[in-house]
Amino acid sequence: MASIARQNPLLRQSCLSAFRAPWATKNVAQAVAFHASAKKQILPPLPQSIQGTMNDPAPIPETHPTEGSYHWTFERIVCASLVPLCIAPFAAGSMSPVMDAIICSSIVVHSHIGFHASITDYFPTRRVPKTHTFMNWLLRAFTLGTAVGLYEFETNDVGVTEALRRVWKA
Amino acid sequence: MSALRSTTRLFASSKPLFRPAVFARSYATVDALSQVSATGHTSNKTIQESKTLNVQEPNPSEQPKIKTFQVYRWNPDQPTEKPKMQSYTLDLNKTGPMMLDALIRIKNEMDPTLTFRRSCREGICGSCAMNIDGVNTLACLCRIPTDTAKESRIYPLPHTYVVKDLVPDLTYFYKQYKSIKPYLQRDTKTEDGLEYRQSPEERKKLDGLYECILCACCSTSCPSYWWNSEEYLGPAILLQSYRWLADSRDEKTAERKAALDNSMSVYRCHTILNCSRTCPKGLNPARAIAEIKKMMASN
Repeated sequence: MASIARQNPLLRQSCLSAFRAPWATKNVAQAVAFHASAKKQILPPLPQSIQGTMNDPAPIPETHPTEGSYHWTFERIVCASLVPLCIAPFAAGSMSPVMDAIICSSIVVHSHIGFHASITDYFPTRRVPKTHTFMNWLLRAFTLGTAVGLYEFETNDVGVTEALRRVWKA
Repeated sequence: MSALRSTTRLFASSKPLFRPAVFARSYATVDALSQVSATGHTSNKTIQESKTLNVQEPNPSEQPKIKTFQVYRWNPDQPTEKPKMQSYTLDLNKTGPMMLDALIRIKNEMDPTLTFRRSCREGICGSCAMNIDGVNTLACLCRIPTDTAKESRIYPLPHTYVVKDLVPDLTYFYKQYKSIKPYLQRDTKTEDGLEYRQSPEERKKLDGLYECILCACCSTSCPSYWWNSEEYLGPAILLQSYRWLADSRDEKTAERKAALDNSMSVYRCHTILNCSRTCPKGLNPARAIAEIKKMMASN
């Protein structure tokens, strides 16, 4: 702006008469409340790079139904089936171990898929391939740990629904 | 969320009692106000309008309705200078009703260096897409709020590479558009060798899809597209993709579906629905993506 003002006398005049923006005089607490989160850049964008010429299409990824449509359908089925599964044992009032096993396994699968999606979103393979792989293995370890823990809880203790029923004092 | 924020503000004063200052988090805006001139180019914070020159209305009317516009400025010819917010005050009595009128008036009468794209001024070309008062929209379809006490803030489309001032680089967006083959693909001729006919019902499926002008407002409002724009196609391109999947005359539906059938192209959509909320043409890209997912699931 300064350079523009230097070139243009009319503009310079208007610049000289400039007053302090009213925004700056507002109290700081207001500004703080508006920007409630600190600016922390995780994986800031790289400088722009364009593959090929302007007129080349973006590369089309390989067809992979197990990561695409089949994956999505499976995820939705698990997701939708969790709703009745969570209500059923309490509505029916029966605590069958088979039912417990189905609920536990669906919850484990559901959370694994959910966390896997987050890893794909936030640790992209093109930017951090090693972290991506590490996080995926970490997730697998956690999922396995959860599954084993739930299995132990089901076989050696009272089971998830019964535990919930005992804890729930409403 | 705002309720939560005000609660945190209540507790903010007691923070130093419970934790050492080392762990206190600094706030972006306060930082910018206090240390703008001190920070180097490593920080990519925008210089606030209070630190830049305010350009005044050149010849206000008798009873002027003066409104302030804060505009994002960045000049590629001075790459070492940081982006800044610049204020322009305009008399609304002498300005047209739309944001684009204000921008054109600024460019014509106050600051010829302000750069933005515009063409049709009636929401048909999609050139003037920008972020106005926090919403991605077309400047030509966005009325200037008549409340002169509040200033309007104009930014380029979020999470785009900026060419200059309000001009975003949409090269990759167009490359992605090209990758979905946005044209009619068929091998067979009709029986009588004339045009490819459609029933009114089949034509009706394209309503709400063909109107898209590819202004990129929806794609740049999608957090998923912000994180993964290199691989995820984004709402605008997926809406176009569905426009060709839904077309009864197109014969390459299977190939089109196969091109989308991977983890990144479509399935990074987490139904955030920013796209449908922001679309300046009132279309529903989220519904088109949901239809694509349905089509892919039922093959």
